[in-house]
Amino acid sequence: MSAMGRKRSVVGRIRDHLEAMATGAKYLLFRPRMTLMYPDEVQELPPGYRGMIRFIREECISCGMCARICPADAIKMYEGDEKKYPGINYMRCVFCGFCVDICPSAALEFAPVHDVACYGLQEHIYRPDDFSRGPPSVRFKKKPEKVRAEIDERRGIVYEPT
Amino acid sequence: MGWIERILRLLLSPQVFAPLIYPGIVTILAVIIFMLWLERKIAAKVQLRYGPLYVLKRLGGIIQLIADLLRFLFAHPIIPEAVDKLAFVMGPILLFALVYLPAVALPVSSGFVAISSDLNLLLALALIVIGPIFVLILGWASNNKFSLIGGLREGYLMMAYEMPLFITVLSMAVVYNSFDLVEIVERQAGGHWGVLLNPLAAVLFLLIAFMSTSRYPFEIAEAESELVMGPYTEYSGILYGLTMGASYVKLYVLSLLFTEVFLGGWYPTIWPLNTHPILPGLVVLGKALVVMSIGVFLRAVYPRYRIDQGLKIGWHVFFSLSIASLLISLGVVGIRVLG
Repeated sequence: MSAMGRKRSVVGRIRDHLEAMATGAKYLLFRPRMTLMYPDEVQELPPGYRGMIRFIREECISCGMCARICPADAIKMYEGDEKKYPGINYMRCVFCGFCVDICPSAALEFAPVHDVACYGLQEHIYRPDDFSRGPPSVRFKKKPEKVRAEIDERRGIVYEPT
Repeated sequence: MGWIERILRLLLSPQVFAPLIYPGIVTILAVIIFMLWLERKIAAKVQLRYGPLYVLKRLGGIIQLIADLLRFLFAHPIIPEAVDKLAFVMGPILLFALVYLPAVALPVSSGFVAISSDLNLLLALALIVIGPIFVLILGWASNNKFSLIGGLREGYLMMAYEMPLFITVLSMAVVYNSFDLVEIVERQAGGHWGVLLNPLAAVLFLLIAFMSTSRYPFEIAEAESELVMGPYTEYSGILYGLTMGASYVKLYVLSLLFTEVFLGGWYPTIWPLNTHPILPGLVVLGKALVVMSIGVFLRAVYPRYRIDQGLKIGWHVFFSLSIASLLISLGVVGIRVLG
């Protein structure tokens, strides 16, 4: 027995090599690429996408459930005027969305934003005031084309313009 | 005679043109830039990606490698304290020089030969097999375990592929009854290509060429996932660029040799090409580029053999097949003599 545990005849082995090369050639010549050309094309996000989190201050009842459920200890309650309000640290956040799910008064919601760049680590910490302003909007140099990801059985992932 | 004419005459004489322009340094640089780009592009396409794209986007990022080359050129080459400094610095330079030298021994066309000799083929082969010694030297000079293991692997492989390489090429010399590359190509003028006369030798030569230039699946000495970069681990800057370029230059030289021995060299030489003795070289270059692109395509298909598998293939398969190809050549000669 060979080291591979499977003994093939010489002809069979040569055929295996040719098959491998034919598969490579097929991918080289006929298969379309799957790349999303990110700054030029942006994927349209589905509803309920777990992006960054928006805080609606007026709805908040200061129960602190979000801070307690947070598995990464990203949400912390800050002293406010009379009540305590949550703030978030995106250096810790794992985007699990537990805080949004548990909030009894729907004061937290998902925003379809995830591509934010920062100059310093301090910018990742959102105190209640910043948190209630919502995630920063993303600016592109050129207006990107919106695309939607479709699963095609033969081709794999296909990005179609919406 | 004006001085411009004199310089042109000098430049177009085979002894200057061959080492400097084609098949020498200028063509080699262009081919390295093109082949590295093509290799990355092919691997990317097989894996459904784009590869280099944003440097000159309109042409698919074709000048990406010029940017990389400039970076290598201006990067600080670090020479570690514990290395053997002379061997460490001279290793890559001599390696590059010696893999480039055999290109000069190859004729451009029947009327344009830099080294006119009836032992061209042997000269080219002899120069080709000196190169790996410097891989061993720089693997040892680096004073690093990865480099040493990589260098030793290169040494083992060199032993495994050199003898089949010589026997394979010499079996073609038996068919053509000559060591002169010009005569070998002239024999193939009527479409009697070497690949048709002895297909086994052609396939074998191609595989050995890929093995000796560390193409996949024989990229055993460098073995990035095991040995970092094999013998070249400690190198940086332009010295690393030279070691990396050396294997591509060797692939280029072996592809040229393959073209001239098996693929009919500069034939068919059609109309615009037969006006000047240099122009048939373009046919050789074109065929060699096709051969090289097969070599770089394999990267996208194959994983890497273990060193023992590589040695087994060298000694068991390649060696016995090279003897078989010698027998086939003798058969071809026998048919020719009897028939």
